Amino acid sequence: MRISLPFMSVSMATSFLLALAVSGAEAQSSNLQGIWQAVNTAAWDIEDHSGSLGIPAGQGVVDGGAIPYQPWALLQKQENFTNRATADPLASCAMPGVPRITYMPYPFQILQFDDRILILYEYVHATRTIYMNGSDHPDGHIDFWMGDSRGRWEGETLVVDVIHFNDQTWFDRAGNFHSEALHVVERYTPRGPNHIDYEVTIEDPNVFTRPWTMRMPLYRRQEPNVQLLEYECYAYAEEDLAKDK
Amino acid sequence: MQKKIWQKINRVGAIGMIALLGAMPVELYAQQAWEPPRTVDGHPDLQGYWDGGPANASHSIEDGCCDVVHARMQSRTPDRLGLLEPLIIDPPDGRIPYQEWAEVKRTQLLYDMETPTELGHIDPEDRCLLLGAPRSNYRGDLEIRQTKDFIVILYEWAHAYRVIPMDGRSHVGETISMYNGDSRGRWEGDTLVVEARNFNDQVWLDSHGSFYSDKLRVVERWELVEGDAIRYEATIEDPNVFTRPWTLAFTMGRIGGDDYEFFEEACWEGVTNKHRLAAGRLAVEAGERQLHTHEEESQ
Repeated sequence: MRISLPFMSVSMATSFLLALAVSGAEAQSSNLQGIWQAVNTAAWDIEDHSGSLGIPAGQGVVDGGAIPYQPWALLQKQENFTNRATADPLASCAMPGVPRITYMPYPFQILQFDDRILILYEYVHATRTIYMNGSDHPDGHIDFWMGDSRGRWEGETLVVDVIHFNDQTWFDRAGNFHSEALHVVERYTPRGPNHIDYEVTIEDPNVFTRPWTMRMPLYRRQEPNVQLLEYECYAYAEEDLAKDK
Repeated sequence: MQKKIWQKINRVGAIGMIALLGAMPVELYAQQAWEPPRTVDGHPDLQGYWDGGPANASHSIEDGCCDVVHARMQSRTPDRLGLLEPLIIDPPDGRIPYQEWAEVKRTQLLYDMETPTELGHIDPEDRCLLLGAPRSNYRGDLEIRQTKDFIVILYEWAHAYRVIPMDGRSHVGETISMYNGDSRGRWEGDTLVVEARNFNDQVWLDSHGSFYSDKLRVVERWELVEGDAIRYEATIEDPNVFTRPWTLAFTMGRIGGDDYEFFEEACWEGVTNKHRLAAGRLAVEAGERQLHTHEEESQ
């Protein structure tokens, strides 16, 4: 578009620029508010897997199929898989970390404000505040279970940069893991009123040979009375876990 | 900015208000002079970070905290002992109106907590359980966020939260019970009124075993008051446990600057209670039973 400002009056130019700014502001964000849920088997295994007792078969959500582990890390992953019944952090009801919390088979609610976005998860009442005020991550390293999230809008896509993780969480029940050097970049892009394309890039030079990506749709829960309830994992398992925890 | 000012003028109905004020007696005029800040929806703006009520209240809403032994452990000076301000405003004696059987059970819990042999003897707070309403509001700092349809309260402690729908929907079915209960909100003038029910019977109102049943009903009133504060009031009703409804109230002050943020407070991930249970069982086997009291406080 060619704009010849010199031929406009000052007031015309002002209104024009104001209109540009307003339309720009509108294009700079999306309304992601509501209750969402992933409908897939990634919580059990983000890679291709056959069915087994209590675990539905599923196709992987990792771009290119396989996770690019360093050789030592692939051995660690295999050991994790063998011991997953007890070694999975979720077996002791810990917070699942990011991105695993997104594809747990439980709903979560997104609420948007000028300076922050809240994501409230039903699973173990995990929460995230994604600061949208241009602030940087705090100095660290800090061992957070859910990391520290700072977001920005790229067009209609919410981009969230997450660091400051501990090395205690897994990506799934199959033992896929990371170190505390984990750097997650999430991209939430609306595809119509009831779907979000969720794309996650994983970077961890201690564990992987290169950054890799997983992607999946998120679905808006449609029940008119849908609301977050409670899944208080550790409260339900406390009697058992208190024996040796 | 201009838009905001016009919204404000529209909201207040400035001209009508000025006319009204002119006709008012002086003391009414004074009452009307303070206007709470408002959201774009016209309701009082409760958003931000708030301190969690009077110090020591979460230990005991009747007696505060702590005795001299506790005080030494926590480096408390004598002026920080006890209940720093009364919490229960009705009944006037400041005590929970327990039914007779419930008073007996509560006293039993005051013994059990010193020598716990099962998880139910340990303060739910020490087990990282969600503390429900109203206890969450005097346990620690909280953050309020408002949209048109929801009020969200985030608690720094154990990353607990409550989502309070404001759209008039009915409560969840009676057989669903939750640690935090099920909250529904509405505006009565400038007061946010929240009704909470669907609680379970696992949580105490403080560390002193102040228990309730799953018939608990709580009505909270949140009012923004002059001086950047919230006046909070909760009326508590449970026909299984109390002789009558009773009310606690306190004022929360605003905390934090522009860049204030909560940090993740992982509770369960670091907690262990097995040693307390083991010690409690040994003590009970040895016949050592002791009441949890604050008797030294008054000496």
